Order: sequence, then structure tokens, then C-alpha cells
Amino acid sequence: MPGAKFDIAYVFDYFPKLLSTLGLTLTIVGWSILLGLGFGFLVALPRLYKVPILQRVSQVYVSFFRGTPILIQLFLIYYGLPELLKLVHADVTRTPVLVFVVLTYSLHAGAYLSEMIRAGVTAVDRGQVEAAYSVGMSGFQAFVRIVLPQAFAISLPVFANLVIATLKDTSLAFSLGVMEMTGKAQTLITLSQHFVETYIALAVIYFVISFALEKVFLLLERRLLKHDRRETDSGKRFGWRRAPSLRGLLAKTARAQEGRSRA
Amino acid sequence: MIQLSRITKAFGRHEVLKGIDLTVGKGEVVAILGPSGSGKTTLLRCINFLEKPSGGTVAIGDFKADGKHPSKKEIHALRLKSAMVFQHYNLFRHKTALENVMEGLVVVRKIPKEQARAKSISVLEKVGLGSKIDAYPSQLSGGQQQRVGIARALALEPEVILFDEPTSALDPELVGEVLEVIRRIAKEGITMIVVTHEMGFARDVANRVVFMDEGLVIEEGDPKEIFARPKEERTKQFLKRITPEASYSI
Ligand SMILES: Nc1ncnc2c1ncn2[C@@H]1O[C@H](COP(=O)(O)OP(=O)(O)OP(=O)(O)O)[C@@H](O)[C@H]1O
Ligand SMILES: [Mg+2]
Repeated sequence: MPGAKFDIAYVFDYFPKLLSTLGLTLTIVGWSILLGLGFGFLVALPRLYKVPILQRVSQVYVSFFRGTPILIQLFLIYYGLPELLKLVHADVTRTPVLVFVVLTYSLHAGAYLSEMIRAGVTAVDRGQVEAAYSVGMSGFQAFVRIVLPQAFAISLPVFANLVIATLKDTSLAFSLGVMEMTGKAQTLITLSQHFVETYIALAVIYFVISFALEKVFLLLERRLLKHDRRETDSGKRFGWRRAPSLRGLLAKTARAQEGRSRA
Repeated sequence: MIQLSRITKAFGRHEVLKGIDLTVGKGEVVAILGPSGSGKTTLLRCINFLEKPSGGTVAIGDFKADGKHPSKKEIHALRLKSAMVFQHYNLFRHKTALENVMEGLVVVRKIPKEQARAKSISVLEKVGLGSKIDAYPSQLSGGQQQRVGIARALALEPEVILFDEPTSALDPELVGEVLEVIRRIAKEGITMIVVTHEMGFARDVANRVVFMDEGLVIEEGDPKEIFARPKEERTKQFLKRITPEASYSI
């Protein structure tokens, strides 16, 4: 076995050391999700409104970021983007690595978020929008007041997954030398050779944060979806309920639409 | 008064409305009947521009809009003067019954919240849902949901309420309560255009029946007259098919 003899004391010793870099990890997650939402909206809109050429561009973007490993995306953007920018005489050699990291994660998250936004918006049936029009709302009012709140509630489970996935993905940023939690763990290991203890401490931290996030999102979701619960909800007794499956919702919408399409 | 002149509508090359003229006086209740696919829903949706006509004009009150080239402002004006009750209720699912009714008053009509609230509660009481104002659509039966839909339209005090088969998505035992509400508001002198397959309702409540087929008005007139002595062959055929003895009992 490589490394030093197992000593549980190191696990406890390393917690605070690793936690000192938690801020950086969460910063990466926060910015990536925030920017990712921006990208997601930009990419979802042309597909929702079927804008001819942009729709294709969106599709290619989504396929690329969903279809390639994030580690490779990190390298491509870190090494490739400066080369591209050189062509237009922009010098990014002094730009902090962190910027590339956040850019990669937000583009990556944006691809998934755009799909989430698209699915959420299409899951709100057209009839409600027509009802909004019929009482005199504008397209914008109908979108903001009727579609978005419901799309958001529907999307929350998917969103929660994505935030947690991004948190875990940040552990790859150390491969570009960013001193987030996993990067910090690597240095601790290099110094002490206590592999297992370090990774145990690291795993516990990631797990606790993911777990906490999951709980927070579940609470939020329950609040936002209160309109879709019947009084007799059996989940209430156990303090939880199953996340609505997106596919189920889509099927429901399709049925509703079928019912409405007048043959 | 509502006046539709030479309304045409084509989906691609499929001509669904082939020139419809229809005038509905103030306080009149007009029932539109006709076989499936004859264009009843499409005609109704052309009145508030959920569907843009291919030609003709729509006028409500003293306001007139060109069917083919309406401006955003014209569409908005027509929608302010009309309200619609949908076959599938189309309630805002994330809002309570009360919020569903208030939404248009507050957001579109800019009525102060407290006032809109009071008004909405009184309209919900009128449709028999005074005890359900805080329920979400998912907690209501189909009949109750449709009554919220009616309250939502009623609260706007439009010049005309457009009903598109308001009871056809309901379980048979819930049809009565909804028809009863519509009957009641018809008596109050609210102008209504009702697309329906409920012959009994059309006969008893409507002042006039319009029979449509293949995008045209085939025959119109007093309901008792049309049901008893239809003049056109197509009307006869339709009535024979749709009204075997049973439905007269409603
Ligand atoms: N959005 C649309 N796109 C294409 N065709 C449509 C559309 N809406 C309606 N149609 C067609 O227009 C015709 C008339 O439809 P409409 O819904 O107005 O009939 P209807 O009289 O309301 O029938 P029903 O009694 O079944 O509700 C049908 O042939 C229908 O297929
Ligand atoms: Mg119809």
C-alpha cells in the first residue's frame, strides 16, 4: 500500500485545512450556475421560439457540452481559447486560471440548463397562456406571470441535480492548478503521504454539502409545488414527496394538448 | 353589440371559415351548433384573436378591428372587451381560485388589490364557490374548476363572454352545476356566445341558435323554431344525429 500508515487523527486534522478552501469551491459553483443560467436562457430562447439559424447553433452548443467530458472541455478552453483570441490580438496570458475554469463550468452547466428551461417552459400547457391572453395580458406578462413560475417549480429537481453535479465537477479544476478543495487535498497528500485519510475527509465534506443542498432544494420545491398537491398527499406524513418526473409532466402536457387540438 | 363581417380563416390551404357574418345584440345569448370540425371553435377564437382571421372584420361595441392586419393595440382592445371560458378550463395552475379571478383585474385592469379582491370574492360566491377561494385548481373538481373559469371571465365585466363547449370535458354528473351557473348569468343580461353540444341548454337558454357546417352559417333563428322545424337539410341531419330523445330531458 502506498503512503503512510493509516492514522484517523489526520482525518480530523485535515477537515479545517480542506474547509479553508471551501469558499473557493463554492465560488466556482455559484458563478458557474449564475452565468450558466444566463447562457441557458440565451440558448433556450431560439429553440423555444424556433429562430431559424440560431436554433441550429444552440443545438450544436448543447450537443457539444453534453457530449464531451468536462475535463476535456476544461483543457480545450484553457489552452484553446487563448490561441483563438490571439487571432484577434487579444492577450489573455495574464487572465487568472479561475476565469477559464468558471467559463468552462458555466458553459457546461448552460447546456444542461437550457434543456431544463426548454422542458420547463414547454411543460406549462399552451391553454394557460391563451387564457392569459384572453384576459388581456401581453406576451411578456403571460410569460413572466404564468409560464415562468410554473416552469421554475417544475424544473427545480433538475436544477438541484445540476447544482450538485457542478459541485462535484469542481473537483476537476485542480487539474489546471486551481487550489479548490480537491487541489488542496492533493497538496496535503504530497506533504504527508496520508492518502486515505485525506480522501475520507474530502469525501465527507462533499457529501455533507451535497446532502444539505438536496434538503434545501427539496424544501423549496415543496413550497413551490404546493399548488400541485392534493389534500390527501401521503408524502406529507413522511415529510417528503417524490420529485415529479419531467417525463411524466411532458406526457401529461402532450395529452392535454392532444385533447385540445380539435380534429 | 358584436359584429363579425365576412370572417375567413385558413390553416395553410385548409379553409376552415368561409365568410361568416354574425351579429349579436347586447344582452343576447347566441348558441353555436354544428358538427365536429365545422369551425365553431375557430370562429370563437377569431373574436378575441387567439386565432388571427385571414380576412373580415371583428367589431365589439364601437370598436372595430381589421381581421387580417390588426395592430397589437387593436387586439388588446378587443381582448379587454371580451372574455373566454375554455373547454379545458385553462386555469392558472399555480394560483388559487381567488388569484385566478384577481389576476386579470390587477395585472391588466390595474384595479387596486383590495378592491379586486373584494370583487373577485363576490363573483366566486356568485358561482357558488365562496368556500373554495383559497383552493388550487388541482384541489377542485372539473365542475368547480370550470366555475372558477366562468368567474374569471365574469369578473372582468366584458361586453361579451365567449364559451367554447364549457361542459364537454366534464363528467356527466358535473355538467348540470356548470350549466346552471351559465343559465343564471344569462338571465342577468350578459351577452354570450356559447359553442355547445348541449341541445337542451341551447333550446332553453339561447335567444338565438346558429347552425354551422363546413365553415359557413347554414341556418340561424329562434331555438324553438329551429329545433322543431329546421329548414335546411344539413341542420335536419345534424339534429337527428345529435338529439335522440334522451338529450331533450335536460
Ligand atoms: N391550429 C390549427 N391548425 C390547423 N388546423 C386547425 C387548427 N385549428 C383547427 N384546425 C382545423 O380547423 C377545422 C375546424 O376546427 P374547429 O376546432 O374550429 O372545429 P369545431 O367546430 O370547434 O369542432 P369540435 O366540435 O370538434 O370542437 C378542423 O378541421 C381542424 O382540424
Ligand atoms: Mg371546438
